[in-house]
Amino acid sequence: MILAYDPATNPLNTNEWAFPLCECFHIAAFAFSIGTIALIDLRLFGWGLDSRSPAQLLRDTEIWTLLGLAVVITSGLLIFSSDPVHYLGNGPFRFKMLGLLLAIVFNYTIHRKAVLGNLAPAGRMAIAAVSLALWFSLVFAGVFIAFV
Amino acid sequence: MTDIATTVRESNLLYPWIMTLHLAAIGLFGGLILMTDLRLLGVTMQSTPAPEVIARLRLWKRLGFIVMVTCGILLATSKMDTYYPNPYFQIKMLLLTLVGLHAIVFHGSVYGKSAPATGISAKLAGALSLLLWTGILSMGRWIAYYEPPK
Repeated sequence: MILAYDPATNPLNTNEWAFPLCECFHIAAFAFSIGTIALIDLRLFGWGLDSRSPAQLLRDTEIWTLLGLAVVITSGLLIFSSDPVHYLGNGPFRFKMLGLLLAIVFNYTIHRKAVLGNLAPAGRMAIAAVSLALWFSLVFAGVFIAFV
Repeated sequence: MTDIATTVRESNLLYPWIMTLHLAAIGLFGGLILMTDLRLLGVTMQSTPAPEVIARLRLWKRLGFIVMVTCGILLATSKMDTYYPNPYFQIKMLLLTLVGLHAIVFHGSVYGKSAPATGISAKLAGALSLLLWTGILSMGRWIAYYEPPK
């Protein structure tokens, strides 16, 4: 079934604007997901919307984060389907998939606990830094997929 | 400036690295703009007054904007002869000009230091900002797909 799949018949490869449109959704959606997570990370550093507690901020933004992640993954899968063999053999792509898994697990476990609990400021900041670094590495790998 | 542009063009790694920073700034700055716009539209963070959201995120949005635009200029000038005649690049620049106009028009009613940021002007500012930035993002992507007539 998978072996019989021919990317040449994929609408993403036959329609001129389907691929760039997917990329637009991908970028807009990561602005949503990474942007809302970054807002919380800034707050963990004591910056940005510091009149609200990190927990309040999480309640306000988590639905947008989730929505962003859903769209970013859906559009990403579509982009992947345009040339699976190429992506599977691409170093930055593999790095990105591993990073994505780590970032999502981190975000919904350790990061979430730090946001909702009463960790010492140093611990909060360390977790915010790891979170920002993880999401940044995904952007980095995403760009480099096209440059290797 | 031309020296920097030449260096970026001729380096294999510099271009994608600047692109990474450009996109990371979109993640941060774009995300903050989105949240501000959605707050102006009244669909998120309702318990925080809009002027407070604007005031506390002002510095970060500016910082993100500076990184984003600096990287954008470096990317564009490194390949100016292909960017300049590209219609999607031209539309993107036009939309960026409109963003500047948008900031000036809504300064007193929405974005300024003692602006009320409520009512119809806040909603209008949020909706227009969303439209403009969605357009800028899309045009930015389409730049790469334009093939000049031979």
